[in-house]
Amino acid sequence: MATLSRFAPVLRTTLNRGISSIMVKRDSSNKVYGPLADEDRIFTNLYGRHDWRLSGAMGRGDWYKTKEILNKGHEWILGEIKTSGLRGRGGAGFPTGMKWSFMNKPSDGRPKYLVVNADEGEPGTCKDREIMRHDPHKLVEGCLVAGRAMGARAAYIYIRGEFYNEASNMQVAINEAYKAGFLGKNACGSGYDFDVFMHRGAGAYICGEETALIESLEGKQGKPRLKPPFPADIGVFGCPTTVANVETVAVAPTICRRGGSWFASLGRTRNSGTKLFNISGHVNNPCTVEEEMSVPLKELIERHAGGVTGGWDNLLGVIPGGSSTPVIPKQVCEEAIMDFDGLVACQTSLGTAAVIVMNKQTDIVKAIARLIEFYKHESCGQCTPCREGVNWMYKIMTRFVKGDAQPEEIDALWEVSKQIEGHTICALGDGAAWPVQGLIRHFRPVLEERMANYAAANAVAN
Amino acid sequence: MASKLARAGVRQVKPILSVDHGEARQRVLNLYKAWYRQLPYIVMDYDLPKSKEECRAKLREEFMKHHHVQDIRVIDMLVIKGQMELKETVEIWKQKHGLMAYWKDTVEPKPQGFLNKFLDGHE
Amino acid sequence: MGHPGEGLLLGMGATRAQSSGPEKIEVFIDDQPVMVPPGTTVLQAAAEAGVEIPRFCYHERLSVAGNCRMCLVEVEKSVKPVAACAMPVMKGWRIKTDSDMTRKAREGVMEFLLINHPLDCPICDQGGECDLQDQSMAFGSDRSRFLDNKRAVEDKNIGPLVKTIMTRCIHCTRCVRFASEVAGVEDLGTTGRGSDMQIGTYVEKMLMSELSGNVIDLCPVGALTSKPYAFTARPWEIRRTDSVDVMDAVGSNIVVNHRTGEVLRILPRTNEEINEEWLSDKSRFACDGLKRQRLVYPMVKDSSGELRPCQWEDALLVAGRALAAAQGSVAAVAGGLADAESLVALKDLVNKLGGEATCTEEIFPEDGSGTDLRSSYLLNTTIAGVEEADLVLLVGTNPRFEAPLFNARLRKAWVHNELDVAVLGPNVNLTYEAEHIGEDPAIIEKLLSGTHPFSQRLKAARRPMVVVGSALLSRPDGGLLYARLQQLAHQLRAGCEGGAEWRVLNVLHRVASQVAALDLGYTPGVSKVRNAPPQVLYLLGADEGAITREDLPADCLVIYQGHHGDRGAEMADVVLPGAAYTEKMATYVNTEGRAQQAQAALVPPGMAREDWKIIRALSEVVGAQLPYDNLAEVRDRLTEVSPNLTRYGDVEEANYFAQASALAQLVKGKQEAAPIDVPQKVLEDFYMTNSVSRASPTMAKCIAAIKKEAANRHRDK
Repeated sequence: MATLSRFAPVLRTTLNRGISSIMVKRDSSNKVYGPLADEDRIFTNLYGRHDWRLSGAMGRGDWYKTKEILNKGHEWILGEIKTSGLRGRGGAGFPTGMKWSFMNKPSDGRPKYLVVNADEGEPGTCKDREIMRHDPHKLVEGCLVAGRAMGARAAYIYIRGEFYNEASNMQVAINEAYKAGFLGKNACGSGYDFDVFMHRGAGAYICGEETALIESLEGKQGKPRLKPPFPADIGVFGCPTTVANVETVAVAPTICRRGGSWFASLGRTRNSGTKLFNISGHVNNPCTVEEEMSVPLKELIERHAGGVTGGWDNLLGVIPGGSSTPVIPKQVCEEAIMDFDGLVACQTSLGTAAVIVMNKQTDIVKAIARLIEFYKHESCGQCTPCREGVNWMYKIMTRFVKGDAQPEEIDALWEVSKQIEGHTICALGDGAAWPVQGLIRHFRPVLEERMANYAAANAVAN
Repeated sequence: MASKLARAGVRQVKPILSVDHGEARQRVLNLYKAWYRQLPYIVMDYDLPKSKEECRAKLREEFMKHHHVQDIRVIDMLVIKGQMELKETVEIWKQKHGLMAYWKDTVEPKPQGFLNKFLDGHE
Repeated sequence: MGHPGEGLLLGMGATRAQSSGPEKIEVFIDDQPVMVPPGTTVLQAAAEAGVEIPRFCYHERLSVAGNCRMCLVEVEKSVKPVAACAMPVMKGWRIKTDSDMTRKAREGVMEFLLINHPLDCPICDQGGECDLQDQSMAFGSDRSRFLDNKRAVEDKNIGPLVKTIMTRCIHCTRCVRFASEVAGVEDLGTTGRGSDMQIGTYVEKMLMSELSGNVIDLCPVGALTSKPYAFTARPWEIRRTDSVDVMDAVGSNIVVNHRTGEVLRILPRTNEEINEEWLSDKSRFACDGLKRQRLVYPMVKDSSGELRPCQWEDALLVAGRALAAAQGSVAAVAGGLADAESLVALKDLVNKLGGEATCTEEIFPEDGSGTDLRSSYLLNTTIAGVEEADLVLLVGTNPRFEAPLFNARLRKAWVHNELDVAVLGPNVNLTYEAEHIGEDPAIIEKLLSGTHPFSQRLKAARRPMVVVGSALLSRPDGGLLYARLQQLAHQLRAGCEGGAEWRVLNVLHRVASQVAALDLGYTPGVSKVRNAPPQVLYLLGADEGAITREDLPADCLVIYQGHHGDRGAEMADVVLPGAAYTEKMATYVNTEGRAQQAQAALVPPGMAREDWKIIRALSEVVGAQLPYDNLAEVRDRLTEVSPNLTRYGDVEEANYFAQASALAQLVKGKQEAAPIDVPQKVLEDFYMTNSVSRASPTMAKCIAAIKKEAANRHRDK
């Protein structure tokens, strides 16, 4: 769950101000985005059809003139990233250029660190693993470029424990890079020293939250820290740290090579670039695909995933950004644009762009109840609303599946979810509250009908 | 002014019951006799650990406590109180220890000095 | 969870900023402007404005956890409520502590806390003093909408002092943070995640700390309660008397909780200078020893050699006759629990009868300046002063068990102020890292001459402290070693940054009576008595066996005055029952030289009397009447002898280090080869050190539990 960081309390004023100054103004009124042209693809070995090792990666353009990129200095790299309008791919969508520039404060003697969040655990999300197992050099090179941009001494890649083969491939790629002189002392001959370390997690979803990840990396229980102080001030081992998603880091070298304006030319204003979309669930051809941002949801499903099982009309709803984003029903899906702003307009969120498609054979209540069970299991238990509230929501939801409840409890559940949302240390509470809110917002009649049926059946039985 | 002062000097007091010493004396004697006659019953009813004679002696002692009183009004008041006491006693509104209190006329004096207080448990 | 270093950064930052705050910033608490230093948290700023924000996990003396979320408050222009305990204020913030959003957030958190909290308040020992109860009354909703089953958690056995009912736990982690940060035992922690999270020791083991009782006070609910006090009383039935503890020489401030003539429990009372708000387990739990083994009537040995109960008159007569007949061959030995009033009365009586030997059981060398200069036998830096030190050398002492709260200060300074501690003596576990520089007494000489490697560290220290324990002082060569340490301390003082204001030399006493006794002119140690046995020996609570029957001639009459039937009463011919520290208005002076008053919470049991009064009464029987009849007059006499004894709460500065050091140079003697040792090395040795704690069943249980714990294979050896 590279994803949790998405809900970071970010954005708001700073975001808007920052972005409007950076972004290239473009008319985005009626242009149709996607499909992505082959020459604009960043991840050219997404399906593992080619060699993932160094020679293959170099053949695809990785490590090409990396030294020159590094030698242009951190100002230039940050400038390109800012121009590109890249927003964090972990879910929160914080402007990457700005986040990385937070690290460029005068040094107080402490080393700085880049931490790559490869703890991809969000149900439905499977983009980082594709990068790590089929294109690991993109990430290794990305670490170097991003590390240079923020003056980091080393990068730690915190990888989900279950990703054994991915971790293995990553380690092979890192070893190859060291051997080729791309990493270590005088990386790529640029005079810049940089190391990359792998750290395998132990399988906790919460460790994808940036501060919990830092705690876990330090060898403690993976429980989110209070912010402030932010990791950019006091992060891993007490040093300034930036935690970035795998995809964010991996696209950085390509942006630097092709220029920020190229990246910005894709997708709508403020939502630029390409993005890995994971389409799973009731589709004919579940897949991970790189596509232009702002592609319509319907086109994404029809073109790349072979359509909804049983046809578009058989669609019940879509969870558009990984399990923690609210579900949207079919009529909303028709118009939904897959980018940050487009989905916010639909009262949901792009998240990690993990599209979970559900057709009409889905028991939507049971599906959401299962998601809540996941969050209940993964709550770290540190702060009250999440520890107690998510468990409570789970208990209510399990009864809702049968219909064993009163209609008033739907409102109670709504309130409970609101009592959790925004009251916790990290964003897991929010992520657990949103699916429930989406369910109640769009599928209230289903809940009520089920309760009525249950009551009727019970009345007969008695 | 002067007449006012003079009047205050020889102020006539309003009698309570008796108008002269003879009448007051009669009331006292009546009360004494009433008590005297009731004593055997009191001893029996309250199961007092005292004999009739001891009670009569105590009765006499209680009356003799006030034999110096000359003021008619005071005598009347004492008689009224004595009647009230008699009534309460005869009706058994009192309790045994209330009557026995008549014989507890000596209270031990508090100890003086540090050592005495200490030995007595007051220090 | 909760590494000591990490969370502290925040809290520390806040407090440090306060002390040296450059420019204050203005914030508004409910529209009321307050000026606070930057780095102040919202909660502290609100406290400044007189607004108390509810909290469960936040505690001033622990790191900030921010996990209960009870302190959420609305800040204008912020979308989400912020956690007041952790969030530093920014300039111009408008904080609303009673807005709709704030109240809703609190009510939500309260509801969440209560859904899994059992409804067992009627049988819960925390009832009536429970934060959860109080705050749910103030901030909670008035009805429940939780229809499912509540969580239940298995109780843990963490020893004979702390009772756990883990179902009640609200996971504030105060106990975890206390154990790891203050007590320095990493035994408590959290296991499991989400609603399965539990506080515990992971595998069943005992909470092996001398400060474990404090988690009971810290627990905001009834999850951790006192085992000895379980189901005993309700807080509203209890009468409270502020008093002073005498189990060690620290003089912790306590509140004696009592009802119907019985001490039910003892709680700490905040005193920043001494115990902050902590209390050691012995001080807290040994109070049930006050009900056992008590001397409740005077006793006199009859012809068969048996002590027989008698009246005060008889006992005083027997004692008085013997004292009068002794013709001045009278000596007194005071034990560790004696108060200043009885000490002065006894000394006056003995002197009046012509006796000279008034001794204490604790030993202090008389070489050099001996006890003539007050600075030679005090903890001169004061307990709070430890926080300014940067290097502490402990010589022949184990403060962890001799003075647990002094040790807690050392640990606090070690954690927060980067204090370094070095130990000369046995290498004991002090709960923090201390450099062990050896056990050989010869090292002291080397330190003085500067030939030991550690000398450089001492010289380089800006504010060094040398803490000398009574174990070193009671060695046969204690006088010599102490003289050398005095010289060393004086040397360090001259070179250090603290200058004349900084006192290097410190003596850490073990018993509560010692400083007062020395102030009053008692002779430390009983050698005087042993060398010239008197005809009548008066023992004032002397129970440590410093003098035994074998040391005395057969015809010597021994009078024992004290409150417990212990070693002293065993050897006595006349026993005069006295009052324990909870039963008398009395003065105690702690190791810093700070006089404090104990208050009478109860009356002495049976025929027992306040100690100075017994001596006063006896004096009259002997015919050498002491000139005071009430407490005020006794205290006048105390003031006459040593004015500091009645300046309650203050530390009188003592400052004759140069003279003491000069006299110390003259001390010559033979140094023994035996290594420096301390009597209390492990936790087991901590619990029973005086007549009260020896009589306490709870302390006995602690020792039994530790013996049993030795067989626990989960414990780190």
